[in-house]
Amino acid sequence: MKVSTKDDLMAWLDRLAERYTLIAPKDVEGHILYRPVAGSEEIAFDFTKAALSPKEHFLPSTQVILSIERKGEGIELKEPSLERERIIFGIRPCDAKALRVLDALFLEEPIDPYYAERREKTTLIGLACREMGDECFCTSLGGAPDDASDVDLMLTEVEGGYAVQVVTEKGKAIVGDLPLKEVEGSPPKPIVHEEKVPIPELDAWPQHFNDEYWARLADRCLSCRLCTYVCPTCRCFDVRDYPSSDDAIERLRAWDSCLAEGYRRIAGGYNPRPTKMQRLRNRFYCKFYYYPKDFGPVACVGCGRCIINCPVNIDIVEVLRDVATL
Amino acid sequence: MALKNPYRPYLGTLVGIKDLATNIKLFQVELNDPQEREAFTYRPGQFAFVSAFGVGEAPFSITSSPSRSQVLEFAINRVGTVTSALHRMSEGDVVGIRGPFGNGFPLEEMEGKNIVILGGGIGGAPLRPIIHTVIDNRSKYGKLTILWAARNPSLLIFTDEFDEWRAAPDTELHLTVDRADETWTGNVGLITELLEKVAPSPENAVSITCGPPIMIKFTMLTLKKLGFAPEQMIMTLEAKMKCGIGKCGRCNLGDKFICTDGPVFNYAEVSEFLESF
Amino acid sequence: MIDQIRAKARELLESGQVSCVIGYEEGTRGRVRPAFIYKPEDVDRLVWNERCIHNLVVYLRQFARPLKRGEEPPRVAILVKPCDSRSLNVLLQEKQVERERVYVIGLACEGMRVDGQLQERCQRCEDRIPLVYDLLVGEKPQTVGHEDYADVEELERMSPRERLDFWLRELDRCILCYACRQACPACYCSECVAEQLDPLWMGIAIDLPRKWFFHTMRAYHLAGRCAGCNACEQVCPMDIPLSLIYRKLVKEVETLFSYKAGLDAETPSPLATFEKGEELPL
Repeated sequence: MKVSTKDDLMAWLDRLAERYTLIAPKDVEGHILYRPVAGSEEIAFDFTKAALSPKEHFLPSTQVILSIERKGEGIELKEPSLERERIIFGIRPCDAKALRVLDALFLEEPIDPYYAERREKTTLIGLACREMGDECFCTSLGGAPDDASDVDLMLTEVEGGYAVQVVTEKGKAIVGDLPLKEVEGSPPKPIVHEEKVPIPELDAWPQHFNDEYWARLADRCLSCRLCTYVCPTCRCFDVRDYPSSDDAIERLRAWDSCLAEGYRRIAGGYNPRPTKMQRLRNRFYCKFYYYPKDFGPVACVGCGRCIINCPVNIDIVEVLRDVATL
Repeated sequence: MALKNPYRPYLGTLVGIKDLATNIKLFQVELNDPQEREAFTYRPGQFAFVSAFGVGEAPFSITSSPSRSQVLEFAINRVGTVTSALHRMSEGDVVGIRGPFGNGFPLEEMEGKNIVILGGGIGGAPLRPIIHTVIDNRSKYGKLTILWAARNPSLLIFTDEFDEWRAAPDTELHLTVDRADETWTGNVGLITELLEKVAPSPENAVSITCGPPIMIKFTMLTLKKLGFAPEQMIMTLEAKMKCGIGKCGRCNLGDKFICTDGPVFNYAEVSEFLESF
Repeated sequence: MIDQIRAKARELLESGQVSCVIGYEEGTRGRVRPAFIYKPEDVDRLVWNERCIHNLVVYLRQFARPLKRGEEPPRVAILVKPCDSRSLNVLLQEKQVERERVYVIGLACEGMRVDGQLQERCQRCEDRIPLVYDLLVGEKPQTVGHEDYADVEELERMSPRERLDFWLRELDRCILCYACRQACPACYCSECVAEQLDPLWMGIAIDLPRKWFFHTMRAYHLAGRCAGCNACEQVCPMDIPLSLIYRKLVKEVETLFSYKAGLDAETPSPLATFEKGEELPL
């Protein structure tokens, strides 16, 4: 394996930070979040999973999708663009897999140009996990804590530094000036959970749609949006115009959640999903039935953030186990 | 940006605004760019997003017929922020148009058949281009039976076209209102009651319904009672939408999106959906 | 205590006095979660321990409507800790809950613990038994906490600029998930200001100005109504110290009007009433 020392790695990242926007895990008041950093000394290395996935850098929580200006009698439209190429350092395999899941939707015709541009202009430097977290279940969904298939470069912590695996041409293009030493052996295997979570097959889901199980599960749901916002694969969004100055308007796209009561309510007042049960059930069906049926991949990567954060312990692993035995 | 941006609207000018009914106006939009105007081809049953810049955009069925009209027409009911902003506009104002989206009506399969149209209130908007298509290509279709309803007479739309529809060969127009006013001399009652009275034959027929969800649901039951098979009963649905291209995740009924798999569905398909509209 | 709770729950369900008992049960991964017991044979799911951190009063609103069309709204039983009972009093006083429809099982409480540590709000708790109940379970504990607003005063001692920087730093990681609002029993508006489009107050953007607006707006809407149950801070995924904002306003109302929310179900909030001849403490 090719190994880089930590010092060399840090120096290399500092050099990259001069040419690219470097986004890396950063300690923000005790929470690890992927934020732009000016240099490698700001990067946090000691963490299992960031509080929010890097999804926000591809589908931002709020972004301007059009600038609308009034020019005399007419209107001029402008489409904003990313200024600089970016590198996301320290992305975990589950979060990288989540981007593949979103690709299946956003890069399918008609292509979402804002997402596509961000994907194209970003190089992903993955960081393999040493061990799966308590709530993690990536291995049940075809992933792994050291899965390199969705990143451009994969780093694994080894004795004396980091093993560096070049995965794609994009990764190769930036790794040239990182000093690497050939060392005997391979990176250590991560510690994984023995037991896997049963993921019910596509055909298993429709028959349970009208089970009372969902109403009982939804009894305790608060209809907050936590799970959808921390989830690396959830993507529902809202679009609205806001004046940004006297003559200019911005069309904004922002995160929305299918769990919100008014999510489907039309202006006249009609709401096809008025109950908590219908909305909560929709989220599970969207992830494990609708999304894979329509776009291919299951819309869950087993990161466990929803499990960690749900205030009332609606545990997606428990739900999957229950559905498998319903 | 090199890619064609499906979120970017075409710019269009309001070349005509007409009162259609209480709180309902007809907006006529001409796309500004001649190339975009040329390229914008649509079928009856498709919809487009109309932007009131500064507020936002909303989906509306295109109520003009591609063969009859050079401009795009939308019948818009004032209920929310976007529609209110549109209602405040004047001729000459600029709006955005994104589209056309949706699957449209299965006109080829309807040829040679008797057509039963059921329109409730603003639901008549997507049905008008079908009526025009049938009348303009009369020999291609069978008997045309139109049932047109509204809550009260002031909410009936396209009243200025009723004479033309009645006058077309082998065409019947039946009107009803839930509640009459002093001048109304026609039928009073729900559209389902009118449907039972008119009792169109299901033989070689296809029905197309549009209106509020509750109206569609009860109309389906009545059509079934009259002997229509689920495949013969077509409906066009609506939902809150934000993209129109199946990305924002909002308008799904189960694994089907109203914007890309619909908005036109037949009852057989809808009965298979996990969720109800 | 748990045997008494389960026995009462069984009795209430068997006799048909209530349709549902809202309590706590063991969840996954060592967590406790809200439980909804509809059948007498399920009462053994109920637990009571120092991990029962949730304020269950928030669930009363989903039972305000009939479970089936044509029926009356169901009667329910609910387990309340002392802090939760104050939220319940606020809802009773604001006529959001009908007293006759709720059977209150009050729990004497020595405090909740997370990872063995007594929660801060429990260290401040001055009530050890609920202030409203139909049945009191447990002995009143000897120890009682004291709310001295020490952490709020620490913020007050900061200069306005320091305080602003503190809150901008904390609110920066807010994701406007609204978990705090959804978990709060006093937030029961059918359409929140934050989501109204006409008139437009906030809009859909998730950015610092809107996060600022939401939290200050909600704090003002809770002034004189917040019972200090801390559910908001508990559910926040980003551990934002929200209770500092709400307790600041609770402190202000207490100082100005000598009023604390939820002490009984009759006294209305001074911010919602104006008596003839009332003197304003200005």
